[in-house]
Amino acid sequence: MSAHVRAELLKLRSTRTNLGLFAAMLGLVGFVIALHGFGLPTEALGSRPKQLGVFGRGELLGTLFAALLGALSITSEFRHGTIRPTFLVTPRRGRVVAAKVMASMLIGSTFGLLAAALALGVGSVAFATRGLEIRLDGGDYALLLAGSAAAAALWAGIGVGLGALVRSQVPTVVGIATWLLFVEGLLIGDLGFGDVGRFTPGALGKAATGQDPLLAPGLAVLLLALYAVASTAAGWVSTERRDVA
Amino acid sequence: MIGTFTASAALTEPARGDAVVRVSALTKRYGDVAVVEDVTFSLGPGTVTGFLGPNGAGKSTTLRVLLGLAEPTAGEALVFGRRYRDLDEPARRVGAVLESNDFDPGRSGRNHLRALALAGGISRGRVEELLELVGLARAADRRVGAYSLGMRQRLGLAGALLGAPHLLVLDEPANGLDPAGVHWLRTFIRQFADQGGTVLVASHGLAEVAQTVDQVVIIHHGRVIAAARLDQLAARGKTLEETYLELTSEVAA
Repeated sequence: MSAHVRAELLKLRSTRTNLGLFAAMLGLVGFVIALHGFGLPTEALGSRPKQLGVFGRGELLGTLFAALLGALSITSEFRHGTIRPTFLVTPRRGRVVAAKVMASMLIGSTFGLLAAALALGVGSVAFATRGLEIRLDGGDYALLLAGSAAAAALWAGIGVGLGALVRSQVPTVVGIATWLLFVEGLLIGDLGFGDVGRFTPGALGKAATGQDPLLAPGLAVLLLALYAVASTAAGWVSTERRDVA
Repeated sequence: MIGTFTASAALTEPARGDAVVRVSALTKRYGDVAVVEDVTFSLGPGTVTGFLGPNGAGKSTTLRVLLGLAEPTAGEALVFGRRYRDLDEPARRVGAVLESNDFDPGRSGRNHLRALALAGGISRGRVEELLELVGLARAADRRVGAYSLGMRQRLGLAGALLGAPHLLVLDEPANGLDPAGVHWLRTFIRQFADQGGTVLVASHGLAEVAQTVDQVVIIHHGRVIAAARLDQLAARGKTLEETYLELTSEVAA
């Protein structure tokens, strides 16, 4: 692993911020899945797609927090001024952006994997407690875990790109959360934009876990990777060109 | 303006083969505002230079362009004959502290240095060495948020020195230091130069600089208005302070 990636990994784990993000993510996953698993009426949990929808909530939260981690990895440097010493040591800024993408994807995939695993665990306990039959098989579980890890990793990359582009911390964080939870979660999902809504980046993350019967998970990952490439490329170009105050 | 005062040819001549810093006809505009205009000076090895001027004179902008953080609008600024961004291992040639508080308050001093060292290909042992040198070994595992301003200045300096550079660029390094800290900094800068290192210290204060530097470049409204060795000023019977106030008030008037 390159020295620059190791430097970025050290930055990610040497403040409490990311530990806080991780704890908040686990807490929310546990809360949301418990709420659904224990709270929803039996008929809302009976079918396989409905169960996938509940267990798949881990992916959304893993993705959200991985994206925030990626965005914070660069906006916090602009916020605290550490971007100056960072670029003094590594004036070829593309290397810094690339290392942040790699490090954030690595930690982000762990976020996604563990969020999905916790969702499965809490969901299973809730179902068992209520005596409900789980209609998911081993393949579904594997896809929920792997798809969530992949989606969260790619969203971490998207977050780094957006953070590099925007630089300012609060707008970046608010923008990502608004997009994933409000714009995609409520507007596009509920108003039914048909096939367009299927290819937005949040929906692709969901499809990566096998929750969209019309979009193969592999294809969803590939399309989401294109978003990640576009975002990081924009962030990279912007970082190379703009002055640092 | 400069007519009132003979600028040192050695400082303002753009081309010198062994120049550690060479700034030639440097201009930096933000929109229509020229923050730095046609600035030229060069620094030889082993010298300590005060880069002086009132707040907003263009000192920090010049340093940012010199260090590759900002692009010049015209002209160029070279270190060791190259643009900073083209240096292979910049941390081993140049060390710089531009702001006194460029730290994540939640990260420990040791981890701040270790992350920089990793990126710069510098050993962990060197991090410990510098923590000792700047007197932060015992505080190294505390979060920087709990450091005093003086401790942050010293941590910044440690970061700049990680790669054992030959050029040190410091922007207002004495801000927030107590008298003992200022004394320590002066002694350090002197030793650094005596060992052949080159130092460029930007400051709006004169007292701490006059006792440390060999020569000054004075900038005002983005232009160099004087460049001289201190002994040249002394030969004119002027102190640095008299010269500085004379020149900066003249231009302002």
